[in-house]
Amino acid sequence: MSKAYVVNTGIITAIGNDTAACLQSLLEGKTGVGKAEILKTHWQDELPVAEVKLTNEQLAQKTGVSADWPRTALLSAVAVHEAWMPYKEKASGLRTGFFSANTVGGMDLTENVYKDFVDDAHSVQLKKIINHECGAITEIVAEHFGISDFVTTISTACSSSANSIMMAAQMIEAGMLDVAIAGGADSMSRFTLNGFNTLMILDRQPCQPFDNNRRGLNLGEGAGYVLLMSEKALQQCGAKGICTVSGYANANDAYHQTASSPDGIGNKLAMGNALKKAGLQPSDINYINLHGTGTANNDSSEGKAVQDIFAASVPMASSTKAYTGHTLGAAGGVEAVFSTLSIRDGIVYPNMRWQTQMEDINWQVVTELKTGQDIRHVLSNSFGFGGNCSSLIFSAC
Amino acid sequence: MLNIDLYINSAGIISGAGNNMSGNFLQDTTDYSAFALAAVEPDYKAYIPVMQLRRMSKAVRMGVVASKVAMQQAGMETPDAISVGTAYGCLQDTESFLGKMIEQDEQMLTPTAFIQSTHNTVSGQIALLAGCNGHNLTYVHRGHSFEHALINAKLHMQQHPGSNILIGAIEEQTPNSVKALQYAGAVAKENYTPSDVLGGKLTNPVCGEGAAFFSLTEQPLNQQSLKIAALDIFKATADKAFEKIENFAAQAGPFDLFVSGSNGEKKDYALYQSIAAEIVPGVPVTTFKQLCGEYPVASSFVLGMLWHRIYPGIQGKYKNVLLVNNHCDYYSCWTLELW
Repeated sequence: MSKAYVVNTGIITAIGNDTAACLQSLLEGKTGVGKAEILKTHWQDELPVAEVKLTNEQLAQKTGVSADWPRTALLSAVAVHEAWMPYKEKASGLRTGFFSANTVGGMDLTENVYKDFVDDAHSVQLKKIINHECGAITEIVAEHFGISDFVTTISTACSSSANSIMMAAQMIEAGMLDVAIAGGADSMSRFTLNGFNTLMILDRQPCQPFDNNRRGLNLGEGAGYVLLMSEKALQQCGAKGICTVSGYANANDAYHQTASSPDGIGNKLAMGNALKKAGLQPSDINYINLHGTGTANNDSSEGKAVQDIFAASVPMASSTKAYTGHTLGAAGGVEAVFSTLSIRDGIVYPNMRWQTQMEDINWQVVTELKTGQDIRHVLSNSFGFGGNCSSLIFSAC
Repeated sequence: MLNIDLYINSAGIISGAGNNMSGNFLQDTTDYSAFALAAVEPDYKAYIPVMQLRRMSKAVRMGVVASKVAMQQAGMETPDAISVGTAYGCLQDTESFLGKMIEQDEQMLTPTAFIQSTHNTVSGQIALLAGCNGHNLTYVHRGHSFEHALINAKLHMQQHPGSNILIGAIEEQTPNSVKALQYAGAVAKENYTPSDVLGGKLTNPVCGEGAAFFSLTEQPLNQQSLKIAALDIFKATADKAFEKIENFAAQAGPFDLFVSGSNGEKKDYALYQSIAAEIVPGVPVTTFKQLCGEYPVASSFVLGMLWHRIYPGIQGKYKNVLLVNNHCDYYSCWTLELW
């Protein structure tokens, strides 16, 4: 049974259009949160977002695809291109899968034509609605890159792309595939922004995850993928693993459709079972990339769950959502990339904008950039609506 | 080809051809003249408190009740894991929030419809109501959504032997989703009857919807348990599909029943005819889409139908079944063992 090795990464978020640019922003403490410029919404001046500052045409140009695609597919293609193109030729003949996730599908296009469609379907161009489904997003990207051995789409709200990485690792371990591109994408849409706004969990200022005075989250957009390979694929491609996906677990909080249980039952199960799968003790973890959205509820439940699992010795931990915003279906993929870079470069990202210690937890997030660290094992959390909780563990090779 | 080697032990089914909560599932002759078949919903009050029911969209109530019946029949209080497929997700709530958002220019909106619009609403609600903290996933990959949920269950079972996993699928139609599918040329605009579907001369199929859930284990739990022996899935045009199906059948046969996923479309009808004539010659053939219509997770309906040992148009006892389904070029080939 082969392990699933992370060989390369691909990412686009509000803090950078590729891995190097995102890393640079993380190192320099540059946030992506600001005023919406691409998204046209009633809330333009009131709700800050972490937007990729490229138009759909500019995104399409980067990979030579149609600008008529939904924005989520355009973001996905950019990140897949970065992760996959250096290995595409070398991996010829290997069984390759594409595991993507999203929550918004083609809603960014649909929401602009829905009213006209209801009044008179034929007044709307078919291309505006044809890729509305979440699965269509994955499919058009897979077709563009010629991946067909196994292509799937997962949608479990904010934990979606952690689950696609989990399934990809399982299929490589089971010998069902040699190569997998796994992660997810989500674009901004008025539908999502307004949905989160009705829940009253959006911060009207740049968010402050894990701060006692946190006010909510900022929505972000982007895409993040890891390129996974089996040992056989590593050999054929002459590739080297940066780390492995050593542990994963998915659990359900079974508490509320949109809120976490006060003690983070699902969070604890996900972290605990991921450790078990990896064969690690809590003390083996060097860094936790927290889900840390900045909402009162998430950070409290996650904070207590971390405290329960790690007791008196919580490792270095931080949320990177103050940089990227909450990228929803892309978050697990984006943060898998950050976790990989943490191991590769021996760095831990500061929990930006933190000011005040949370009263209900007894441990502190990392608030300054740490470099020169020996990071062997990183735990990455992704929790979401529907009680979906997933944790991944990445381990140095 | 994937060896699945897992058993389904129970089924909760709601479809355009009726549901299996009222006792005479698929016993009456199906008759309609329609371009879309609405699910025949059971009396939900027997399963869900009225107050809760009022807040549930059709997708959620169909999924929740079909899963409850599947759990009850299998004596499963809480599943060990839940794995669900749905290509379109919760359309009714999505449209409800979207419509209001546009109408009210993004102001004075309430959260309920948004909360229930996410694709994992059904799997989340099932977990919530059953108190299930286990593995929980939702696949949204078009005509392979249910098949991917099954593969996920297989992967989970390999790492957690002895599990009793709830797998299932839901799809709901709305007037606008049917309109969109008609516009895209994916479903019929004119009314058709079951015999039109069986005739195989349609340009577009009749649109369906429904929910089907099952208990899935490594060992059969009862006499009625049905074994999913093997599965192959691929995306192909009809002309390329034949060879793949032929290869699959060669590895898994011989068969004494062929279940055809023909939806009455002319372009696919010929393929199913040639499978019957060349891959499984002389083997009895039965079909199901004249009953449930065409939708991305229709393979979940036919699995339930076979679990009930119902073979429309033919009678007999069958052991080794070849099932071939196709939804918009998303093919699945199944070998099923009945006993």
